[in-house]
Amino acid sequence: MSLISKLAWRNIFRQKRRTILTILTMTGGFVLSSLAIGWMDGSYGGMILFFTNHRTGQIQVHKDGYLDDPSIYDTIDSYLLVGKQLDAIDNVSAWAPRIYTGALLASQAENSPQGIFSNSAAASVTGIDPILEQNATDFSSQITQGTMLTSSHADSSLRATGQILLGNELALTLNVVVGDSLILFSQAADGSGADRRYIVTGIVSTGNTGLDRASCYITLSDAQLLFALENRVHELAVMTSSLTDVERAAEQIAAATDSLGLSTASWKVFAREFYNGMQADEASLKIMLAIIIAVAALGVLNTILMMVLERRREFGVMKAIGTQSGSIVKMIVLEANIMGVVSIVLGSILSTIGLMILSKHGMILDPPLDYGGFTFREMVASITPGCYWIPAVCIMITASVVSLIPAVKASRTDAAKSMRKV
Amino acid sequence: MIFSIIATVVVPSVMILLPLPGELTRELDQLYRSDNSFSEMSMHIVTEHWERTLTMEIWSEGRDKTFIKVLSPARQAGSATLRIGSEMWNYLPNTNSTVRIPPSMMTGSWMGSDITNNDIVKEITYTYDYTAEYIFDPESRGRSSDGIYLLKLIPNPSTAVVWSYIICGISLNPVLPVWEKYYDQHDNLIKTVTFSDVQTMGGRTIPTVMQVIPANKPEQSTIITWSNTSFDQGISEDIFSLDNLQSGGN
Repeated sequence: MSLISKLAWRNIFRQKRRTILTILTMTGGFVLSSLAIGWMDGSYGGMILFFTNHRTGQIQVHKDGYLDDPSIYDTIDSYLLVGKQLDAIDNVSAWAPRIYTGALLASQAENSPQGIFSNSAAASVTGIDPILEQNATDFSSQITQGTMLTSSHADSSLRATGQILLGNELALTLNVVVGDSLILFSQAADGSGADRRYIVTGIVSTGNTGLDRASCYITLSDAQLLFALENRVHELAVMTSSLTDVERAAEQIAAATDSLGLSTASWKVFAREFYNGMQADEASLKIMLAIIIAVAALGVLNTILMMVLERRREFGVMKAIGTQSGSIVKMIVLEANIMGVVSIVLGSILSTIGLMILSKHGMILDPPLDYGGFTFREMVASITPGCYWIPAVCIMITASVVSLIPAVKASRTDAAKSMRKV
Repeated sequence: MIFSIIATVVVPSVMILLPLPGELTRELDQLYRSDNSFSEMSMHIVTEHWERTLTMEIWSEGRDKTFIKVLSPARQAGSATLRIGSEMWNYLPNTNSTVRIPPSMMTGSWMGSDITNNDIVKEITYTYDYTAEYIFDPESRGRSSDGIYLLKLIPNPSTAVVWSYIICGISLNPVLPVWEKYYDQHDNLIKTVTFSDVQTMGGRTIPTVMQVIPANKPEQSTIITWSNTSFDQGISEDIFSLDNLQSGGN
């Protein structure tokens, strides 16, 4: 250890009150920014996970152009082969095939003659694979009444009665409950008419009333038969093990499926509106962080400036016995950096405690917040690497830059003058 | 002097020879109009992705009752449509059920064709629902080079249609439609309807082929061909009932 480092180390313990004050200021700044980042990451992470896990997946695969202009004809052919390729990718935890199209649903009005279905409403039809969909999105957790669809042999004949799940609001519009029958009427991809009789097996509440007002779900095999889309689907929704794996997994999927005329999009692309809103909010978070750090920096500047003024005589003596200006600057910056490191260690401990509390006991939103069509009832913090490294870097930069000004001032001390004065 | 006489006598006489636009539209309206009618027709639909032909029988009474029964192809055979006023119902043989078409679906395609449910439901008359005027250009005086007169039909304020005007090409002697072009409020073409193959059918001289081409999908079209039509031969009132529809028109 050089003489200057030794001096800096000892100086820290010389005036304990001053040191504690500086460390407290820096620790405070660290904890505040760390909590702010954890809170933001947590609320957004929660929203993204909720949004993607329960419906969209984090990545979607479509035929080229489908996302911009969905059409019943733009399908992924031999989707099971694509699915095998997805299974081979490490970060992919689950995937679900879907068919999307529109139809007219009609139910029987009260007292209407046999066979006459006069309560009708247009709806978007989603064909889902009951097992794969359950694995991917835990679909049955959104079924509030009745049961999940089951793959059945009835799906091989359009004359047999099929199973259908209705969005909560759609069921209200059609005035049907679980067990009632209704008619689905649409057009198949080959131009022929598509119609089938269904029994309502369950009611779905996704938390998005707009969606539930216009959505119904049938099994994938049923949809393929009904809409003449044998072995074809419109979308593969892909789940990744965590949000941080999304981009890498999307690249791997794109590489594997590109030659098939398919395009891969992460949630940042297919949920563009949601993502853009989030980005705008993140910009305001950065401004908030900058303010917190600026306040902490001013505090540090203040204490170090005070320290330098108090120690003028000391610097004068150092100068008088031949210490070079550069060494004095080095010593003061080193002192600030040592205090910075101590603050980061202390701050990390305090932040972890704070973040753990906030991640367990979030803020209950009353009234609930509607964001991107989904309803959020509670916001919790999450502990991410950003909660530590961003404040740490900021504290170290602040400590170095802010201490430089008083340090240079101290190094310019006129030895004779300062010793005479005090 | 000679020229001025020609100018004052001949030119106005050409104008006088032209029927009033209102008379033209009345004659057009009378072409297919009758107390009741029965037709057999085929509908050939071509889209980018598929092509198919439906054959069907159509009964109509007055302006507000229509019954359509599809005879082929097999997957669609037995389907039927009943319209009474602005209400429209479809019978689906697969499920042996009758479904009411809600107002929100009226702009949707009928049987996958370029004809909307609205086109079937709305018995619009040129005479009462539109204001007609000739399109005069100084040289042709409403008559284009191939002997077709051009009429501009502007929907009356109470007429609920999605286009803002129609340009019709009409032949005189006899008065028959040749083509219609539908435009939106930005003067963009929405669809073109052409009429051809004029024949005498059911005692009337009418175009027996009608083709609809949507402007945004030029490769797509619907061609309707009448193979048999009779007017005012008397039809049982029972045809236009939900009971008849639910039994598939049998």
